[in-house]
Amino acid sequence: MNNVIANILRFLILLIVQVTICQHICLFGYLTPALFLLALFLLPLELPLSLQYLIGFASGFVVDAFAHTLGVSSFACTLMMFLRPYIAHWLNGNNNNAFENIDRPVPGVKDFRWVFLYTLILTSIYEITAVMLETMTFKNFGHTLLVILGNIVFTVFVILCIEYIFHSHTKNEA
Amino acid sequence: MNNLIEFFKRAFHIIVLAVLLILSVVMLGKSLSFNDYRLSRAVQSIVGPIQKSGAEMIHRFRLGPENEALVQQNIELLREHENMFIEKTDTTLTEMSKPDSINTKRVRLYDYTYAHVIFKTTDRAFNYMIVDKGANDGIARDMAVLSPNGVAGVVTDVSTNFATVRPILHPESRISAVVTPANQNGTVIWEGSDPRVAYLEAIPQHSIINIGDSVFTNGFSNIFPKGLLIGTVKEVQVGNNASFLTIKIKLATQYTDLYTVYLVENLFKHEIDSLKANFKDE
Repeated sequence: MNNVIANILRFLILLIVQVTICQHICLFGYLTPALFLLALFLLPLELPLSLQYLIGFASGFVVDAFAHTLGVSSFACTLMMFLRPYIAHWLNGNNNNAFENIDRPVPGVKDFRWVFLYTLILTSIYEITAVMLETMTFKNFGHTLLVILGNIVFTVFVILCIEYIFHSHTKNEA
Repeated sequence: MNNLIEFFKRAFHIIVLAVLLILSVVMLGKSLSFNDYRLSRAVQSIVGPIQKSGAEMIHRFRLGPENEALVQQNIELLREHENMFIEKTDTTLTEMSKPDSINTKRVRLYDYTYAHVIFKTTDRAFNYMIVDKGANDGIARDMAVLSPNGVAGVVTDVSTNFATVRPILHPESRISAVVTPANQNGTVIWEGSDPRVAYLEAIPQHSIINIGDSVFTNGFSNIFPKGLLIGTVKEVQVGNNASFLTIKIKLATQYTDLYTVYLVENLFKHEIDSLKANFKDE
């Protein structure tokens, strides 16, 4: 129950920060961190899959509503949430026993390599889908690729920083 | 039948996934089409107010540069005010122009610049302020210092990058002033400790001064342009000295929260001062 409230609070805070602050950051003119992905990353993996998809869709929709890009983030988030269990499973080394134990995709439970790859892969899925859907063209693809790469680096950096700042706190709680 | 239910149970999350993805694509299509505004309008009506307050919050972080731009714009406007100029008969044009035309030209007498207060005192007997511009920025002694509300003081000392300002709140500060509508000239001095109040001296006792009358600079000093607000009359007393009134004025400048100041330079100060010096010698 405590976990549920913590997750909901995390969603609210990160979504507010995303739509009020992050979306107005335009580093070099086009780089925007998708900080709210952190809330999705930290969702318990044991949740029913359909609920996970719904949460992904809903948070994507909120971000879309504020960015005037209806459909873009919701699609990317839903897709990312669909692929998330497979990525986590693959990173666990196809070891199904991991699901039996407390399987929380958080630093402290997982080592840095795990968290880094998990964040990197999921962010890449999100950014590639979102940026491609937003541009809707292969014209000037070099620039699009640059935006995708820049966004991935920026987002992963910010998310990892935040994760490891709150790391010790999370560990004590667990 | 059982098989079907079993299938739905197993495939439920796939159905949810498919529905959500299709929904996203439909929304994407709608937002791309130029004909169908309904969805984006509905979303905007909810998001708009929130976004507005968010934008206002972000705006607060950008107030600094915006203020600088506004100060620049203020200076441009202040420089065009009529008390910045003197009118002169244009001798070079007189012969060529028609006799009935106005042969005057406007000569710029004062020029503006601005600075920020980086240190100030208001609670002492001898107060002073330091601003972040100095000789390198063209600041010189005896330049007038104005606040956005009115007269603030005079530059008394200049170093390479900074300047000291003597505010009205200083016993040696003397500013020639005129009180309207009585149109009597006097001198504004400061005595005591209240940074909000100064005194207007040398107003003859017969003048009719009302509370709330405005006190302006009269331009006699060659430091302040004419017609800048110093303060408003707060209290009028018949003083001990029978021939003059004691007038308390509320200063227009709020020294306690002063940050941006305008500095005014009299471009002909040396010329006028040299005339004054000759006058003294004789």
